[in-house]
Amino acid sequence: MQRAIEMQGIPTVFITAEPEETEQARPPRALAPRGFAPGHSLGPAGNPALQRRVLLDALLLLTGPPRPGEVVVGEYG
Amino acid sequence: MTEEQALGISRHCIPFTPFKGRLEEAAVCLVSTAGVRLLSQPAFDTRHELGHRVIPGDATSAQLTVDDTHYDHACVDQDRNCVFPIDRLRELAAEGRVGALTESHFATAYTQQLRDFAAFTAVRLAVEVAAQRPHAVLLTGG
Repeated sequence: MQRAIEMQGIPTVFITAEPEETEQARPPRALAPRGFAPGHSLGPAGNPALQRRVLLDALLLLTGPPRPGEVVVGEYG
Repeated sequence: MTEEQALGISRHCIPFTPFKGRLEEAAVCLVSTAGVRLLSQPAFDTRHELGHRVIPGDATSAQLTVDDTHYDHACVDQDRNCVFPIDRLRELAAEGRVGALTESHFATAYTQQLRDFAAFTAVRLAVEVAAQRPHAVLLTGG
């Protein structure tokens, strides 16, 4: 899905809870919060502050140095 | 056949579109494969789904539900932002951290028919996403 959107000329970033699988797909930009599991990609319920941090960190990959193919690991305690 | 296959693009190639401008002025579109939809929309088939749902940009997480049997729901049943952060994105826009949300967002659901997903669903949906004229797309899985 990410590849198809990039090929439309739109920059993308993926928040993934499955970093190994995502790395095999060679994403243009991806953030993997360490220790987060599928169903909890942005963290636990009832923690909007953490969700915002993860979301903003992912969006900031758009403006940071290009790291295509790399899954950036985020540390959220 | 996907567009990449038709163009002879290697699967080792990494399509990459540079981001231009400022995040504070960017319209952001959410795209998820986590089986998210409006409560009022038809349910996804949790065994296999090649369709998608369009989620209005003014939808709140309380108006959403999830059709999925392939990941743990302990979080998402309480808070859809765990996999579809529409409330959080709206808050960032209100604070000026991003420019805006697009008018529509999109969601797909589970399938193991990945070739069909790539050849049909992803290609078709990417065109719909482009019609929203986003400056960037944030994708989430389950």
